[in-house]
Amino acid sequence: MAEELNSHPINRRNLLRLSGYSLGGMLVGGSVLTLAESLAGKATEPLNQKVEELLLKPQTPVPEFPVSAIEPNALIINTYDFTPNINLNEFRLVVDGEVNNPLSLDMSMIQTMPRKSMVIRHVCVEGWAAIVQWGGVPLRELIQLAQPKPGVKYAYFISADRYYESWDLASCLHPQTMLAYEKNGVPLPIENGAPLRLASPIKLGYKLSKWVVQVTLVSKLLPRRGFWEDQSYEWFAGL
Amino acid sequence: MNSPESTQVANLQDSKEKKPRSLQAFPAKVFHWVNIISLTLMLMSGLQIYNANPVFGGREGWHIPQFFLLGGWLAGGRHWHFAAMWVFSLNLLWYGVYVLVTQRWQHRFVGKNDVKALQAGKNPKRKIYAWHRIVYTSIIPILLLALFTGLGMYKPAQFPWIVECFGDWFALRVVHFASVPLVIGFAIAHSLLSLKVGGERLVNSMLWDEML
Repeated sequence: MAEELNSHPINRRNLLRLSGYSLGGMLVGGSVLTLAESLAGKATEPLNQKVEELLLKPQTPVPEFPVSAIEPNALIINTYDFTPNINLNEFRLVVDGEVNNPLSLDMSMIQTMPRKSMVIRHVCVEGWAAIVQWGGVPLRELIQLAQPKPGVKYAYFISADRYYESWDLASCLHPQTMLAYEKNGVPLPIENGAPLRLASPIKLGYKLSKWVVQVTLVSKLLPRRGFWEDQSYEWFAGL
Repeated sequence: MNSPESTQVANLQDSKEKKPRSLQAFPAKVFHWVNIISLTLMLMSGLQIYNANPVFGGREGWHIPQFFLLGGWLAGGRHWHFAAMWVFSLNLLWYGVYVLVTQRWQHRFVGKNDVKALQAGKNPKRKIYAWHRIVYTSIIPILLLALFTGLGMYKPAQFPWIVECFGDWFALRVVHFASVPLVIGFAIAHSLLSLKVGGERLVNSMLWDEML
C-alpha cells in the first residue's frame, strides 16, 4: 500500500518535500537574509552609483510631456513631518559655501531671474509617479551667479522644516533642475514646498526638497548626506 | 595497502563501471540553480518594495505579510533588489549566449515537433512532454519582460523609450508586477510537470546529480 502511494511521482512525499524546500527557502530568505540587507546594499550600491553617474547625460534634457498629460491628483503630498510656517516677506534664499559671491535673495529678486517651465514625470521611491508642470529659476543660474570656487563638487540643500539633502554638482547644473515656485500653472502651494522647492526629472522624489532656504556649495561631502540617505537610501538616486 | 597489482585491478573495474552521464548538461544545472536563488531574491525583495506603495497595493491594496518578504523595509528591499538584479541578469545573459553558441534551442526547447504532438499525436506521454517543454521555454520571455520593465522603472529618465513601450507609468508597473503571479504559477506548473514527465529521476538530474 505504501509503495503504491509513493510510486506516483506526484505523491504526498514529493509534495511535502517541495513545500518544505519552498517554505524553508523563504524562511531563510525572509528572516536571515533580511538581517543582511545593509550588507547587500553596501556590496552593490557603489557599483550602481557608478553606473548611474555614467548614464547621466549632464546637459541633455529628458523628454517632456504635453500639458494635456498632467496628472494633478497623482502628485501625493508626502510630507514626512510637518509643514513649516514661512513668512514670505522675510524669506531669503541663501546661496553660500565655497563661492566668491554669496547670495541672499528675496522672492521678487528670484522672480526677475530667467524663468523656465517644464512638464516632467515626478517619481517617488515608493513606486508612484505623476506628470507635473513646474515653473521656476534654473538652479544653474543661481549657482553661476554665486561664482563657485574651483573644486566645488556638491551642493547641500537645507529646508525650513530641517529636511536636508545633498546633490552632485552635475545634476544641479542639468538644464531641467530648478528651484520651482509654480506648479501646474498656479503659484506653488505651501504643502508642495512654497516658496521654493527643488524640481528635476533626473532624481527620485526624496531628493527634491521642499521649502528650500539655503544652498551651500562644497568640495567635500560631510558624513551626513541627506535625511533619507542617512537612513540607507541611495544618495545619487538618479532616474 | 595499495600494491601495484591491486591498483591495476581497481583501474580495470573503474573503466568497466563508468558513472552514468547526467541527463542535464552541467551549465544548464548551474544556470538553473543560480536562477532559482536569484529569482527568489528578486521576487521577495520586489514584494517588499511593492508593500511600500501608497497607491497601487501595499499600503493601499493587498498588503503582503512579512513572511514572504526580504529586506524588512523599503530601503532594505531596494538593497536586495538592486544587488540580486546583477546576479539574475548576468546569469540570464551568459545562459542566453550558451544556448545560442551550443544551439541548444534546436533540441532542448519547444519546437515544431511538440506542437505537432499536441495537435495530432496519440501518445499521452508525448503530449505531456510537449507541455513540459512549452512551459519551461515560456519562462524565458517572462523573465526578460520582468527585466525590461524593471529597467524602465529603475531609469525612466535615461530610458524613456521603455516606459513609452507600455504607454504610461501605471501600465509599466502593472506589467512588472504581473511577473509575480506569472513566475509563481510557472514554478508550480514546472515542478509538477517535471515530476509527471520524468519523476524523481528527472528532478534529481537537474537539481542534485553531480552537483554535490
